[in-house]
Amino acid sequence: MLIVAGPVGAHSHDGGQNHPEQQGRIFSVMDGVRDLDLDDEIRYLTAHPAPLEDLSRVHATKYLNELESFCRQGGGNLDPDTFALSDSWDAACRAAGAGLEAIAELERLGDGVAFVPVRPPGHHAGAERGMGFCLLNNVAVSAAALTARGQRVLIVDWDVHHGNGTQAIFWDDPDVLYISTHQWPLFPGTGRADEIGGPNAIGLTVNIPLPPGTTGDIVRMALEVVAQPTIDQFNPDWVLVSCGFDGHRDDPLGELALSSGDFAQLAQLASSFAPRSGRLVLFLEGGYSATALRSSVATTLGALLEVPVEQEATTFGGPGSEAIEAARRGRVQAMDALRMKSHLAGGQG
Amino acid sequence: MTPIKTIAVGFDGSMNSQAAVTWASHLASALGAHLKVVHAVGLLEHAGQSRHTAARSEDGRALALAAGLLSSQVEWLAVDGDPLSALLRMTEAPHSVDLLVVGSRGAGQHSGTLLGSTSLELVEHSGVAVAVIPQGGPRDDSELGAPSRSE
Ligand SMILES: [Zn+2]
Repeated sequence: MLIVAGPVGAHSHDGGQNHPEQQGRIFSVMDGVRDLDLDDEIRYLTAHPAPLEDLSRVHATKYLNELESFCRQGGGNLDPDTFALSDSWDAACRAAGAGLEAIAELERLGDGVAFVPVRPPGHHAGAERGMGFCLLNNVAVSAAALTARGQRVLIVDWDVHHGNGTQAIFWDDPDVLYISTHQWPLFPGTGRADEIGGPNAIGLTVNIPLPPGTTGDIVRMALEVVAQPTIDQFNPDWVLVSCGFDGHRDDPLGELALSSGDFAQLAQLASSFAPRSGRLVLFLEGGYSATALRSSVATTLGALLEVPVEQEATTFGGPGSEAIEAARRGRVQAMDALRMKSHLAGGQG
Repeated sequence: MTPIKTIAVGFDGSMNSQAAVTWASHLASALGAHLKVVHAVGLLEHAGQSRHTAARSEDGRALALAAGLLSSQVEWLAVDGDPLSALLRMTEAPHSVDLLVVGSRGAGQHSGTLLGSTSLELVEHSGVAVAVIPQGGPRDDSELGAPSRSE
């Protein structure tokens, strides 16, 4: 069973045709969903605005108030990339609420996979500010709702950009394991391998920066070699995916070399991290090529539901194997340094 | 007070940021400080889809040199990120600048509200001093650190 919470942003938050983060993205994504021909095996949920209580777990009240009044007054640009318009507050709240509906439905069914096709996207939004096309951090709102109930949450972020907002929000949270593969160097300039989490969550941030041209085999290997041991140890109750498709080779905003077939394999890998069926939610993040979005959504969901879908061949042979070793080494060194620091601090105290 | 040895100035190509670079250059010249002209490369600019004036390294350097700085005192840095994060990163190692300079309003930005104003957010979040240069530059800009003027 596929749960689709949304869509949100098909008819709101309109920054115009010239902005890559546009309404048409949702139409491409929903075409991808329809390509699966699921009939009875799909359930659509209306996305209601996330309650303030849920938003406040992640965002500062001051920012929420400012963003709401900024939008109500007509809005404008938050930075050269990011716009917020008069209806964007409502769209952002519903985008953040969709994940909560998806989780509730999965819990009710005890089975299935959930997809959250929403915009504005979320993973660049931090506690106190929006940026990088993002206003509220959708995946973080859902993760925080789960940890508030004592659940342990793994967030896998395979968007081509590092999810700086998500990382910062859960930096020192021992109940959230954040794993990101992303192109490096690239916006937003964070996500080095030695960024490993705060003192209460040492090692629970896993960053795997990858060079332009990286192929699917390397991204999978990166997750298996660098992240899998930490995931096994962490033992998550839920897996939330920051499911950006801008790592596709046709995407205009990034230079990774993934195909739609690669996203299918990444989805299967993410699914294998979940403790059981009914514990996997995919949140749309980036993805700015209409055709790549459509085919990648279809193959990703098709792989999870075991529905045969026409897909591009998986890719291999690109650069990045050195980057995996560098990421592994960078993590180990950063952890040793932190342990040494806390050991010394303890010795003095 | 810590001596100001290194200054970072935000540059996005806008008139306002040009005034900021000129002001920062005069100050750096007067203090014998090093100037980092910082340009934040956002999502749209990386994709060649920026809707605002492109900031070119030649322009940033030319402004600094015209204000009397030696070529060896000026460094151009294109930094991945949004303008606020890019400038805040300059206050950390290895850059560790002593002063941030920014125009009051960047390209396509709002003024008067905290949201959408890099300068106001910078003042709120920076651990080092921040100079905010108004549109058109300060009124007595020409006098600041002018090399010909003896103190
Ligand atoms: Zn992205």
